[in-house]
Amino acid sequence: MDAFASHYTYWVTVLLMAAGLYIMIARGNLVKKLIGLSIFQTSVYLLYIAPGKLIGGTAPIVSGAFKVYANPLPHVLILTAIVVGIATLALGLAIVVRIREAYGSIEEDEIVAADARDADRA
Amino acid sequence: MRREPVLRVVGKLLIPYMLVFALYVQFHGDFGPGGGFQAGVIAAAAVIFYGLIYGLPAARRLLPDAVVESMVAAGALLYLGVGFAGLLLGGNFLDYFVLDRDPVAGQHRGIFWIELGVLITVAGVMLKIFYMFAGRGREG
Repeated sequence: MDAFASHYTYWVTVLLMAAGLYIMIARGNLVKKLIGLSIFQTSVYLLYIAPGKLIGGTAPIVSGAFKVYANPLPHVLILTAIVVGIATLALGLAIVVRIREAYGSIEEDEIVAADARDADRA
Repeated sequence: MRREPVLRVVGKLLIPYMLVFALYVQFHGDFGPGGGFQAGVIAAAAVIFYGLIYGLPAARRLLPDAVVESMVAAGALLYLGVGFAGLLLGGNFLDYFVLDRDPVAGQHRGIFWIELGVLITVAGVMLKIFYMFAGRGREG
């Protein structure tokens, strides 16, 4: 029980990761797939950020008054990961917009059906 | 959505506070959570909010595409400029210590300009992405 309570951020991470992965696999709508991808990414951010927090730790500022500080490296890493996540999300949405213009749909099954029709005709 | 009085009034009330909060996050970035990335996104969110309520043409009148695109470049140039200012003053690239006679004040000055550059670029990129997605298919 103690191990469960003291590691609750890991449980939240696992929950978010499973939810995001499930949405990506189970949903045919491309925008919903991207939402799942974002949730999955958020779980990874949490996985890195949570151990970086030190209870009672300060910002890493040189001062005689503070002995314990939190390592800023995970936060900087995840700041970069968030920026990369925004860029990949924008790229994914741009591809979805382009798919919608070409197929008139963003449902995966309809796109696959349209591709199959094209292949039959060829 | 043009005739939604509640949204328009709430939007008018909220947008100034969003911009002030962006500035708070920006200046808090020196010594705590915050900084240019977050502040830029919040500032861009205020303009995107304005665009969602009053329409894309109104947002484009507020901040034309040319301004947004120059923001993207200007922020990166400001960042580079701070780096070269360190070089010209006899330090290394992005060396903050030489920016002022007092090294601590130099650190403050360096991080201020760097974060300002990040804010301008991030806000510009976010707005550009919004304009491109929202304006797609409505014009040539």
